Amino acid sequence: MKEYINVCEVEKYYGSEAGMTKAVDRVSFQVAEGEFMGVMGASGSGKTTLLNMLSTIDRVTAGHIYYQDTDITELDPDKLSDFRKENLGFVFQDYNLLDTLTIEENIVLAMTLQNKNRKRIEEDGEEMMRMLGIWEIRNKFPYQVSGGQKQRCACARALINRPKLLLADEPTGALDSKAAGTLLETFQKLNETKKATIFMVTHDAFSASYCSRILFLKDGRIFHELIRGNKSRREFLNAILDVLSLTGGEYDAR
Amino acid sequence: MLAKLALRNVKRSSKDYLVYFFTMTVVVALMFAFNSLLFSKDVQSMFEQAALMQVMLGLATFFIIIIVAWLINYTLRFIMEKRSREFGTYLLLGMKKKQIARLYMRENVILGMGAFFAGLVCGILVQQIILSVLYSMFSLDYVFNVEMNGGCLIMTASCYAGCYLLALLRCKRKLKKMNIYNLMNAEKLNEEIKESHEEVKKWLLPVSGLFLLLFGLWLFFGKNWSAEIILLFLTGLVLVIYLFYTGLASFIVCYVRRKGALVYKGQNLFLLRQFSSKIKTMRFTMGTLTALFVLAFLGCSVAMMFNFYQDRMLEEKMPFDVQIHSGYTEEDFAAELAVIEKSASIKEAYSYHIYENGTDQVNVFLYTNLKVFGDTYKKEDGSPDRQAISHMHDFFYCTYDTFMGLTDYNRLRNMLGLEEISLEEDEYAIHIKDRVFRETGDFSDRLVIEGGRGTLQFAGYYTEPFSQDGHNGGDYVIVVPDAEAALMRPYYSELAVELYGETPRELKHELDEAAKRLDFKQAMGDPDADGTLYANSCIGSDTIMVYAADNLVRDNIVVEMKGILFTLIFPMLYMGLVFLCVALTVLSIQQLSDSAKYKFRYGVLKQIGMGTKQVARLVLKQLVLFYLCPALFAVLISGIIAGYVGGKFNFYSGAATPSALYFGISFLLFFGVYSIYFVATYVGFMRNLESGEK
Repeated sequence: MKEYINVCEVEKYYGSEAGMTKAVDRVSFQVAEGEFMGVMGASGSGKTTLLNMLSTIDRVTAGHIYYQDTDITELDPDKLSDFRKENLGFVFQDYNLLDTLTIEENIVLAMTLQNKNRKRIEEDGEEMMRMLGIWEIRNKFPYQVSGGQKQRCACARALINRPKLLLADEPTGALDSKAAGTLLETFQKLNETKKATIFMVTHDAFSASYCSRILFLKDGRIFHELIRGNKSRREFLNAILDVLSLTGGEYDAR
Repeated sequence: MLAKLALRNVKRSSKDYLVYFFTMTVVVALMFAFNSLLFSKDVQSMFEQAALMQVMLGLATFFIIIIVAWLINYTLRFIMEKRSREFGTYLLLGMKKKQIARLYMRENVILGMGAFFAGLVCGILVQQIILSVLYSMFSLDYVFNVEMNGGCLIMTASCYAGCYLLALLRCKRKLKKMNIYNLMNAEKLNEEIKESHEEVKKWLLPVSGLFLLLFGLWLFFGKNWSAEIILLFLTGLVLVIYLFYTGLASFIVCYVRRKGALVYKGQNLFLLRQFSSKIKTMRFTMGTLTALFVLAFLGCSVAMMFNFYQDRMLEEKMPFDVQIHSGYTEEDFAAELAVIEKSASIKEAYSYHIYENGTDQVNVFLYTNLKVFGDTYKKEDGSPDRQAISHMHDFFYCTYDTFMGLTDYNRLRNMLGLEEISLEEDEYAIHIKDRVFRETGDFSDRLVIEGGRGTLQFAGYYTEPFSQDGHNGGDYVIVVPDAEAALMRPYYSELAVELYGETPRELKHELDEAAKRLDFKQAMGDPDADGTLYANSCIGSDTIMVYAADNLVRDNIVVEMKGILFTLIFPMLYMGLVFLCVALTVLSIQQLSDSAKYKFRYGVLKQIGMGTKQVARLVLKQLVLFYLCPALFAVLISGIIAGYVGGKFNFYSGAATPSALYFGISFLLFFGVYSIYFVATYVGFMRNLESGEK
């Protein structure tokens, strides 16, 4: 598979000279196109910091991040927001839907910001909503629908502009297990049929078991990597739990 | 400990409530400055109507206290909402509700006291400005002089405390009702947008527009002014002010739902939704703000119209330094001249007669043709209603038409520095008020003036200011050759005097005192009688600011009239300014608290690819929409009313008041204050958004 995203020796420090914290410490890895990659780690392991840097929300202290040929650590803020608009989609634990907009409007907003034409906006919007099973609730406001529906709306919004990378930060964190399952199956489906590249941060082994590859982070460094290969999801889940138990089982496994 | 915490909390939140603090300071400054007018001994002795102004200012103060109390209450509720989590934490830590309430009250008292003292300092400055304006209006020199009157301080403090007390009481009740869960979660609550019957509600928008149109038409062209209709329209106006926003919100919602062409362009979708949901939840507040803006606008515009009148019309109305009327045709004015000479030096004095010949054709023409009289003096077929006119004899116009001899007329023109006119033996001219002439146009073809040797020919109109509120006729005087005047009967006597130098301040008073004794004794035929006779009649058709008196001493009356106008102008400006500041503060607090509460919305926009600059531009657009909407709506409503009032002003006062200009100036003044608040809000808004990113 083609090398798509290349993270080289990335470091992120917080704090002053006196009390320096290394949130991410010389991390390097690659993500291939169409890969569904997971990052696991305990609270404070640096996984969200890593995601923020990948998503251009936060800047690296040292190192480089390449999206194909573009080094995003070198871009100025204006270019970064354009880059974000054109290449990235986000899904967060708390949905981050705009409460003044209906489900449909939340989704098409991302497209109107890119000044796409109306017909295209309507067609793509409908296709995406149907695929994610939220077509029927398109005229409702976020507060009127369930958490799972909100998160699928967030997915639709993230994917509507066909981003190069979908970034998900604990997407199932606020969902019940059934809704979480549905969402993860959606991710998997998008990954398989639409060839969407997904980068998901989670501390939940069940969620991680849907990925094709998992990086384990501890104290800002990668200490292990698991590849699903031909394993069934259940076998992969067991493998993940084995790794977690090795580190003292401080992760909760559902 | 509580005191320390309160102080620290104030320090921390002072930045957030800078706008509120600023407004409270301004309010205190204005209160102090205007209250000092109530108590200042200098002001009281300056003009006779000081007592009237005290009543007007008292009335203004009443409304101001209510509005300011509303503002404080509004702000306190907002601060409380914003800090609900903090209060919840206090409760969790085991503080009693009473203690929290006390803490919160204490904080607000500190904040309020701060604003009070800052306001007092600014108030001294404002006081100086107002006093120097006042002194210059009365052509007096003002020496810088800080008036720190105990009564004024107590009054300002108690008004201010009254506002706070009213507001705090309401707030305390709200605090009592809160529980920990609600407090902890109040911050997290997203806006719940309830949309129902939008398709029906959107019709409120065109209905509001239609009503305003009808309202305007009625004001300008309406004939039916019964109390019911006025009440109906006023109620309608208040309703429309409030319902307009419901209509507007629904209209936008329907537009977005219909997927109108603009929706899919750039950030419009977000803007429209944001705007509609905001005015939907705030429709009542927005309506109140609009009403306040309307009042502020009108207050300023009308105050300026009066001011214009004061500056120009008073001098025009009284072109002579002194003008004295006497119904006694043999009057030689010796007593009056003696009084004048006692305190001033006479440059020129001229006494003359106004004549009549038993006809009243001009009077009847004016009674039946001037708009101000409407149909009162007309019969149904349009012919003059003689009976109604005879009831009004000697009020607007005299019983008979008023004439003046050419020599007298030219002498008076000379005194005023106007060119003399000449008339052939069979000619006559009309000197008429400019306003009346503009309304009637040439009506000489309707007049037949019989002279001793046949019908006189019309020779022209003159419209310079000529003391025509009952002295040189009411509204008009017909100028005829001396030979013709000699054939008529003297109607009453007049004395016109020009003085050297300044007119003594007490001259009118002295003249009135002298006249009181003389006239009354003459009229009663009893040399020991005492009392007052009513002043001259035939005052003409002006209705705003008519000064009908036997003795006109211009400079004395100007001061007196300025006093009256002043009592109207200052309270209006006072209320206008306070209302404006209060309304703007509410808008600002709304937006600032939103920027903190709904920060995530802008975060989401950044995630989906908007740059910092774009977000800043979006915020700007949103604020402009939000600020302009109530202002423009208020401009529309008050524009209609100001146009109408200006028209009436011209119509009744005879002054060509440039009401559009004054409305424009109010508008500029308004937007000057507006932009201060706007910029402060925008800066605060962006700071709130940025603070979330760190």
